[in-house]
Amino acid sequence: MSAVGMVGAKAARPRRVVSPGFDRFLRPVHRWVWADAHRRATKLLRFAVTEAESGRDMTRAAECTKDPVLRRIYLKHAMDEQKHANLFTARGRAILAALPSGQAGGSFQANWFSPGERGLDELKVDEETDSSLLAFLHLSEMAGAKRFVVYMDVLGVDPQTRDVFSIVLPDETFHMSYSLTQLKRVSPESYRRRLLWARLGILWKAYLRFASGMANLFGGILLTVQYFLILPLFALVAKRLAKKDLPGWSEARSGAKVSLRTQY
Amino acid sequence: MKILGISSHFHDSAAALVVDGVPVCAVQEERLTRKKNDAAFPLRAIEWCLEKGQIEPSDLDAVVFYEKPMLKFERILTMALRAFPKSWRSFPHAMKNTLGEKLWIKGIITSHLGIPGSKVLFTEHHQSHAAAAFLTQPTKHAAILTADGVGEWATLSVGVGEKKDDGSTSIRILRELHFPHSLGMLYSTFTAFLGFAVNEGEYKVMGLASYGTPRFLEEVRKVVRPAPKGSFTLDLDYFDFHTTARRSYSDELVRVFGKPRAPHEPIDLAAPEGARYADIAASVQLVLEDTLVELTKSLHAETGLTDLCYGGGVALNGVANARILRESGFERLLVPSAPGDSGCAMGAALYADRIHFGNPHKDVPDHPYWGPGIDAEELARLAREDSMVLDEATDEGAFLERVVDALTSGRIVGWMDGAAEYGPRALGSRSILAAPHTVAMKDRLNKEIKYREEFRPFAPAVPIEVAGTYFDLPPGGARLGTFMSGVFPVRLEWRDRLAAITHVDGTARVQTVEQASAPRFYDLLQRYGKRTGIPVLLNTSFNLAGEPIITRAVEGYSTFRRCGIDVLVAGRYLVTKRGAAARLRPSNAPSAETDPPLSTSEEALAC
Repeated sequence: MSAVGMVGAKAARPRRVVSPGFDRFLRPVHRWVWADAHRRATKLLRFAVTEAESGRDMTRAAECTKDPVLRRIYLKHAMDEQKHANLFTARGRAILAALPSGQAGGSFQANWFSPGERGLDELKVDEETDSSLLAFLHLSEMAGAKRFVVYMDVLGVDPQTRDVFSIVLPDETFHMSYSLTQLKRVSPESYRRRLLWARLGILWKAYLRFASGMANLFGGILLTVQYFLILPLFALVAKRLAKKDLPGWSEARSGAKVSLRTQY
Repeated sequence: MKILGISSHFHDSAAALVVDGVPVCAVQEERLTRKKNDAAFPLRAIEWCLEKGQIEPSDLDAVVFYEKPMLKFERILTMALRAFPKSWRSFPHAMKNTLGEKLWIKGIITSHLGIPGSKVLFTEHHQSHAAAAFLTQPTKHAAILTADGVGEWATLSVGVGEKKDDGSTSIRILRELHFPHSLGMLYSTFTAFLGFAVNEGEYKVMGLASYGTPRFLEEVRKVVRPAPKGSFTLDLDYFDFHTTARRSYSDELVRVFGKPRAPHEPIDLAAPEGARYADIAASVQLVLEDTLVELTKSLHAETGLTDLCYGGGVALNGVANARILRESGFERLLVPSAPGDSGCAMGAALYADRIHFGNPHKDVPDHPYWGPGIDAEELARLAREDSMVLDEATDEGAFLERVVDALTSGRIVGWMDGAAEYGPRALGSRSILAAPHTVAMKDRLNKEIKYREEFRPFAPAVPIEVAGTYFDLPPGGARLGTFMSGVFPVRLEWRDRLAAITHVDGTARVQTVEQASAPRFYDLLQRYGKRTGIPVLLNTSFNLAGEPIITRAVEGYSTFRRCGIDVLVAGRYLVTKRGAAARLRPSNAPSAETDPPLSTSEEALAC
């Protein structure tokens, strides 16, 4: 364990994290989501990707901050995230390896329901101030830690996976705690306002995700309708022309002195 | 004349600035945003280039985009039509993808740079590759080959370039192969089939191939069929990349080659499944090589020229490059440091300068170091702030001897020197260096620093004059090695003493270092050679898995703190981990263990 890692281990004083009431209410559904071994494995592997991405974002944060204390803590945070990614990957692979050969998992993953950590939520780390990043981190890590508590609660079926979460959770708690403490240090006067803005920012991003998802859906429907209404005739022509294509070399288009001014 | 070249929106965006016919600087966007393979419009790269060149956007005479967006759109639409109705799922995706931003690149450039649309020019994708391959290289008259996944329509082209005595330049593309018949797509499809990320995992397929035997050769040859005049066609029954975005291979390919590897499935080469993956990789690699050798033989016979300039993503395949050099008949194979799409930024700018504007040819400095420089003072500041062990050199020779001390005692050195490389390879400017003598070093690098598959080899760097002593280089091999573009056998008598860089098949991807282009790195190699008798160092890119190669000192420092690198060097500063000496013992404990932790007060603040 590195220097900052050691500090992390010592400094992590796990606060009791309680899962939100709504999630406690939905515990049977969570239990069902996590019961399937294939789905569990793919979820863990997806979590691993998110954790690794978060680690890279925290590294970037460490590289961007001018505050030496934050830099050291961010580096520790980054290494924690990488450690989590390795743990999730190893466990996910182990579950997949233990599955009977040829057993395919269902395609239904319910990722919207059990998203794990959201990572840094497409945050542009190098455009954030120390305080805005810390506020966001605090909320993000708190949400992640609460989700992990729920997952631990329903993983009685798989003690080894629960053990993985039990290793990860203290780190998440530490991240949640240090980000708030550091926020109070960096912005003693305005940390509450920063947290409020961070909450609003998260809501705004959720709205943007929803809106872009809807736009994507409607755009897809419209284009699909156009595909079947408008394209068939052109497709017929294109297929006929394709038959005239000879195998092998074609004449070079650029040999015809095409102007650089045209996009065609 | 000031010309800015841009490549973007597929993978690995970049910008390059050419002033009065000579490149001033070039950088990939990922090196500045720290997002690996960043494909976004390269705003930061452009800003850096303009700053470096000390010019305003309004001073630019032209901004050249590396491909023709409308022509590319035509190909995407045509392929969707040809695949009707099978393409119904991919069509909305392709249209949204293209209509969102890619088609409006002229407007994006003019709005970001505030220049009139008349200054925006468009080369064809393979013109840009050809220009990057020919105009940057020290040759007057050469055959040109470009091969990649796909540009607009072309996937491969052959031509001839000439820099005439009157200063004029010509690049004549003789003929080209069109999508979907593509060597790049063939290799990428098998990359995906073998569970690796496309545009990223092709190196892994090449590394894996050395562990296999090509027992699927006949099957792959059915996939790639010979066509007239040395060309080929892909049997599209084996592919789906031209009809759907869902996956690139078809059920037929799965039927012939078996179950594809899942991305997270470990490759156990001792197990039958692992051996099958390696055998498939070996078969595809061999077919790729055979196809390229046939093509280049035919091109050599046709042109009678001695030099072949080779660009496009497929030119990153060092094993195939070595075979082309040995078997095609060309005396020299010239591959630029950035043969892929990032290099097209410079290619497009040079093409516009020489061909469109008709400016006289000027020799391009023969080195890959076009990126941002290193601020060693920044490293010193960071090390002091963190109470690290910091040494400052007063004498360059003594300083390099300190680095040699570290290397000979088995330490791993993070080496940051001068301007960053342009292209995917670390060539002694942003490199991790280590002694190349033992397998233990390779294992340590894989385990503690690169966190990557064991079947991937590490590369050596060696002074160009003595490269032939340690590596079996064919004529022209030393030149091919300047940008680490060829894989050659390690001489039998040296394999035991170069075990960390000798791949399972006895080869290595050699970098031959010239004093003129990298004087400090060259000096380090010479001093290491004097001390050990072997002037060869293991040279791997300065990055961790999933991250781009570092650019700034702070990025080197953060990488150093997060992995098992023992010593970090920039300018006249050397930072050592306190535990580095203890790390000489074989241990898995990261070396930062004994480095200064947060103080008690900081610890209290942290939580």
